[in-house]
Amino acid sequence: MKQQNVLEISGLDVSLPTGDRILSGVDLAIGGGRILGVIGESGAGKSMIGACIADTLPDALAVSAGSIEFDGLPLGSMTRATRRDLLGRDIGFIPQEPMTALNPALTIGQQFGSHLARIGFRWPKERKERTIQLLEDVHLPRSRELLSHYPHQLSGGMLQRVLIAMAFASNPKLVVADEPTTALDVTIQARVAELIARMVETHGASVLFITHDLCLAADLCDEVAVLYAGRIVESGAAETIIGSPAHPYSRCLSLATPTLSGPPRPLLTLPGTMPSALERSVMAGCELAPRCPVAEMRCHTDKPLLASTTTGHRSACHFPERVSAIQAPAEEPQAAAREPGPDVVLRAEGLAKTYIARDWIGRMRRVEALRGLDFEVREGEFVGVVGESGSGKSTLTKLILGLEDVTTGRLDAAGFAGSDRSAATLRALRAQVQLVFQDPQSALNPRRSIGSLVTQSLEVRAERPSRAARSAIARDLLAKVLLPPDVIDRFPDQLSGGQKQRVNIARALCSNPRLLVADEIVSGLDVSVQAQILELLKALREEAAISLLLISHDLAVVRHICDRTVVMFRGEIVEQGPVEEVFGNPRHDYTRALVAAAQGGTSLRKTMSQSQ
Amino acid sequence: MHGFARYADIRLILSGGAVSAILLMALLAPWIAPHEPNDQDLLSILMPPVFAGGSAEHLLGTDSLGRDILSRLIHGARTAMTVAIFASCGAMLLGSVLACIAGYFGGRIDWAISRMVEIWLSFPPVVLSMLLIVGLGIGTDKVILAIILVDWTRFCRVLRTEVQVTRRQDYVAYARLAGFSHGRIILREVLPGVLPMIVTLFSLQMGISVVVEAILSFVSMGVPADVPAWGQMIADARIDIYSAPWGLALPILMIFVTVLSFNALGDSLNRVLDPRSSARRPV
Ligand SMILES: Nc1ncnc2c1ncn2[C@@H]1O[C@H](COP(=O)(O)OP(=O)(O)O)[C@@H](O)[C@H]1O
Ligand code: SF4
Ligand SMILES: [Mg+2]
Repeated sequence: MKQQNVLEISGLDVSLPTGDRILSGVDLAIGGGRILGVIGESGAGKSMIGACIADTLPDALAVSAGSIEFDGLPLGSMTRATRRDLLGRDIGFIPQEPMTALNPALTIGQQFGSHLARIGFRWPKERKERTIQLLEDVHLPRSRELLSHYPHQLSGGMLQRVLIAMAFASNPKLVVADEPTTALDVTIQARVAELIARMVETHGASVLFITHDLCLAADLCDEVAVLYAGRIVESGAAETIIGSPAHPYSRCLSLATPTLSGPPRPLLTLPGTMPSALERSVMAGCELAPRCPVAEMRCHTDKPLLASTTTGHRSACHFPERVSAIQAPAEEPQAAAREPGPDVVLRAEGLAKTYIARDWIGRMRRVEALRGLDFEVREGEFVGVVGESGSGKSTLTKLILGLEDVTTGRLDAAGFAGSDRSAATLRALRAQVQLVFQDPQSALNPRRSIGSLVTQSLEVRAERPSRAARSAIARDLLAKVLLPPDVIDRFPDQLSGGQKQRVNIARALCSNPRLLVADEIVSGLDVSVQAQILELLKALREEAAISLLLISHDLAVVRHICDRTVVMFRGEIVEQGPVEEVFGNPRHDYTRALVAAAQGGTSLRKTMSQSQ
Repeated sequence: MHGFARYADIRLILSGGAVSAILLMALLAPWIAPHEPNDQDLLSILMPPVFAGGSAEHLLGTDSLGRDILSRLIHGARTAMTVAIFASCGAMLLGSVLACIAGYFGGRIDWAISRMVEIWLSFPPVVLSMLLIVGLGIGTDKVILAIILVDWTRFCRVLRTEVQVTRRQDYVAYARLAGFSHGRIILREVLPGVLPMIVTLFSLQMGISVVVEAILSFVSMGVPADVPAWGQMIADARIDIYSAPWGLALPILMIFVTVLSFNALGDSLNRVLDPRSSARRPV
């Protein structure tokens, strides 16, 4: 007898009222106890699949064709009440933003309790016991005390653990997780993903795991479906799709992902962006055709259908055999041999920072945030700082920008000694040393136009350039970060995430700085956008002779664009040197642990680099 | 739900239309009112409106002193709007400035302003405004001042939270790094973001000011007796409630419609201007 699938989606279409399709002909099936990953860039329609199951599609959208069967029962033909009963009890959900998923006015215990009441726990005492037990299952310390806490008193990671515990509380058959780690602090993402995997094992649930992170999907999932422009372009076993993909898009994604092993190589950048639902409606052929490196005439006129290539592996491409021919661009010879200039842009000698904290009875406590840092960044050099959160990376940034005073030691940034704190010096320093903020969403005022954003720092100059001059400067800067000139009058909300990050970088370049300090600037981006930004930074180094201090949790990213790396642990530098040396042959235990963790359980990155 | 968006639009148009009509009436009162509001026609007192058997001379009838009710309503709108606009602007300015200072700078100043708001809010607003009037004396300007002093807290409390949220955005940090002064940051970076909220609160405050002015006039603590006001009309018509119910009903109706329009306008403006309140949160 054929084993029944827990979830079976067939021919699912989601359309706008205009008839443009957000999802078209999506087929997915999840067997019992399996994890199916849906990967794709933002806007591909991943969340819509989850929303169809949860019946939370945005108002303007509707399912226009196809069916969703849960455990053999079609969800579409159920009454609202039956469906509501099913959701949350037989189907659990882990949301993307744990901070907004809980009611800020109720305690964790109250919300957990009412969830348990809904799924059939009658007695308060029983509910409390069960809550505590579930919270312990997800490794939340002191779970009894947590019950009386409010959501804002917990970190994002802890809240996500609470929500994971809730999702599994009813022993659901299916759990839908929509980017459950994306909103979390980057350093704890891996741990939360691991937790989900373990919960799946102990509860025997099936999971629909939606993510944009290729490596995460490969680590966690049994099968993977790749979604592009609302259509599934490839599906099959996770290792095959990552290791030997049969669709150009999947291949391009893995070539756009930096690796930690194998020879260093430039990243493949896909030109352009994914077509919107409106643009897709008028495309006769393959949606990828305008961007595909191996496209032909036929691709623009014929839509390829999802067809089997090997057993259990399907690809929607006319030429699956050409996929292995797609290669990353060759390294430019002079780039590899480039030497940093003689000037030192940033030098720290015995740099230390101590905060004096007072506890509630007024006792003084010294917190040593940084201890004895010695390092330098030379002209045109890219240096990566790695370390977990709390290792002092942010404190270092603040010291460099002159936002905090140095306790002991020396810090010279762009020729300004850290001890000089007059307003004029600070202003001059901050023209030379620019910070690129992590989250462009928060760093760009949504009510300023792009043109006014990139030239914002000119507004405080004593002699303000004329409007025309400013707009010329803005166009120049936008060209530097490869944005079309017509974005100048748009507003941040009208740009994609990658474009916003480019604006963010362009703004930092406005004062012709010598050093950029970049705090996790690619961690929130899609793989292909990340590749574009990383290649952009490389190009800027050639052109603008800029130095970069890149703070990142992603060792592969650091390896890809930095010359040297500094590994920080508990406020100290435990190791520094050229990236290949440090990551290839780590000396310190902590670096070794970092490298091992980055290579992951299934050593995906190894598979990927072998296949290239 | 397409219907919902359309419903919100219709609400905006209707409430906007009603508010404009009331404002226009107030502005043009001396020209559109058929009689002088204080002219007494002692030969025709307590006349019913024309649709209830009155004469065309006094469309909405007359009060116990033979004054034309329609004219008094129109001039009452002028009084109500004058008070509401000045009082709301004042409350908005005072409340917003303090909210920006508290929310932006935080720390001790925030603590001080927040405590002050809390103490203020612990008094019932109507009692507080009557106490103020007793202290200040009677007069249109006194009424305005009393409303400002009572209602600035409404702006301050709501906006302070909004400013605090904006303050934490990285673009404010960037502006600091780029060397912008605090004042400039508040004006250029923070204020535009909270402006929709200010507009909404302002509209709601207009309705509230109308009610407060009416209550004060009703107990003869509002505008001087020779200035026509809706609250005063209600007070005057009280004794003749059985013989001439229209004299009581009409000003009440005016207050009701005015407050409802401003509230509906504030609500729909909030929906239109603030994308967050219309976005449906996913599960
Ligand atoms: N409320 C809405 N109205 C119209 N289109 C929407 C709405 N919400 C999302 N979309 C569109 O649906 C598409 C898929 O979005 P989504 O599922 O969120 O992508 P993903 O989760 O893969 O990032 C996007 O092109 C987006 O523009
Ligand atoms: S069908 Fe053509 S355009 Fe589409 S992915 Fe295949 S080769 Fe590329
Ligand atoms: Mg999504």
